[in-house]
Amino acid sequence: MKPNSEEEEELVQGVGPWDECFEVAVQLALRAGQIIRKALTEEKHVSTKTSAADLVTETDHRVEDLIVSELRKRFPSHRFIAEEATASGAKCVLTHSPTWIIDPIDGTCNFVHRFPTVAVSIGFAVHQELEFGVIHHCTEERLYTGRRGQGAFCNGQRLQVSRETDLAKALVLTEIGPKRDPDTLKVFLSNMERLLHAKAHGVRVIGSSTLALCYLASGAADAYYQFGLHCWDLAAATVIIREAGGIVIDTSGGPLDLMSCRVVAAGTREMAVLIAQALQTINYGRDDEK
Amino acid sequence: MADPWQECMDYAVILARQAGEMIREALKNKMDVMIKSSPADLVTVTDQKVEKMLMSSIKEKYPYHSFIGEESVASGEKTVFTEQPTWIIDPIDGTTNFVHRFPFVAVSIGFVVNKEMEFGVVYSCVEDKMYTGRKGKGAFCNGQKLRVSQQEDITKSLLVTELGSSRKPETLRIVLSNMERLCSIPIHGIRSVGTAAVNMCLVATGGADAYYEMGIHCWDMAGAGIIVIEAGGVLLDVTGGPFDLMSRRIIAASNIALAERIAKELEIIPLQRDDES
Repeated sequence: MKPNSEEEEELVQGVGPWDECFEVAVQLALRAGQIIRKALTEEKHVSTKTSAADLVTETDHRVEDLIVSELRKRFPSHRFIAEEATASGAKCVLTHSPTWIIDPIDGTCNFVHRFPTVAVSIGFAVHQELEFGVIHHCTEERLYTGRRGQGAFCNGQRLQVSRETDLAKALVLTEIGPKRDPDTLKVFLSNMERLLHAKAHGVRVIGSSTLALCYLASGAADAYYQFGLHCWDLAAATVIIREAGGIVIDTSGGPLDLMSCRVVAAGTREMAVLIAQALQTINYGRDDEK
Repeated sequence: MADPWQECMDYAVILARQAGEMIREALKNKMDVMIKSSPADLVTVTDQKVEKMLMSSIKEKYPYHSFIGEESVASGEKTVFTEQPTWIIDPIDGTTNFVHRFPFVAVSIGFVVNKEMEFGVVYSCVEDKMYTGRKGKGAFCNGQKLRVSQQEDITKSLLVTELGSSRKPETLRIVLSNMERLCSIPIHGIRSVGTAAVNMCLVATGGADAYYEMGIHCWDMAGAGIIVIEAGGVLLDVTGGPFDLMSRRIIAASNIALAERIAKELEIIPLQRDDES
């Protein structure tokens, strides 16, 4: 399915100061998707980052370079936070400048294995407030978008979160995160155990934070939580969920802090609070402290 | 003599598509959800309707064949496994996903003759992916030939499994401690999409290296089992012994080395066989 261009055009015409940025983001996400789909069929050189389960390939770098270089050309005064640039030592700081927050391949482990759940994520913030997000599900060719005050869409279809407030009827999504030491694994699994003891309907793990968050935005799950994700995993998806009527907060139950490496998202505040209350914290530090 | 099972398989594909249409239609509407063996073991009227449609369509065309269906067993019908040509049906694999509209929901049809898997059809109907496998004839997804991955090194493997529908503390403890042992090896990751049949088909495509689970039933495995084998994979019991369709246990892997390595890590959950009552 291709994006419903008529509805997209209607959406972007003359409605705000970041229209051009949004349009460029959509085009770049689609181009990146083409590169990733082609690379999926090819042999890959895989490297590790923070752990044996934290993978990166040349395609991650190639896609990020494409996106950042195109954006720099068009918007030379804007700032960038991107996953692979950060891995190479760039500082991860959100200022008041218009800032692009980019994950070139979300689900790199899936990409390496050809597990069909891989996304490009492009978020945009001004004055430290998220303005829009674009997430492209590369294998299913679905484009998720959200703009502040203007709704969330998937291939032109408006998104609405679930209204579920009862944890005993919830479908919960999560990801394990890159740390695999014994203590971290114990906490991760005991968090899942607590949700299951609360009779949650189920827990699903699909290997991409951004796409799991998009499923939440579309009402296909009731809650998401994770420790160990980054601002580039969160930025675009947070706008999309909020514009779909959902809640994105910190795992402590407090306000979301994009740099804190942790999140609870849910269709309703009641559900988000219940999930937060069930969780024991896994400490991953902060993106702006590394 | 003409190949009699090919006609059955062609018919199974037609029926799986019809079932898929019923499921997609039901996804548009509000559902009444009922509970079976545990608060997380769900069933809807659509599960029952789809199975009834499948059973009656098959009986009309093949009145001498046998049937094992998830909802028929739930209604009290006894599972008797014989040498007869037998259709083993899961009308909606991933009922929890179906209820929540999580987009991995499958119709699974397995066909067994002389207790050997002959063909399998798994239709992931939201994604519109029709997986098929037939003994000696290969495995396909929407016409594309499937091949399992070549990964034999467990430390570079991606596994699929599920937490299951039991909420008994001791069962959950074993399920989670098995997951902990595997993650500690380490492996690249664990995924759960919420349906045994689709998890197994992901192994057949090479998108995951192996699947393991305890607590599932013959109807969860009978369609996808032959798809994994025809894609070049192997089926094993979780002990490392031979696969037994009625045992409620499975390792489906791209290769035997990986399957046996996984078996070494698994603590067994006691389960009643599908052919016991």
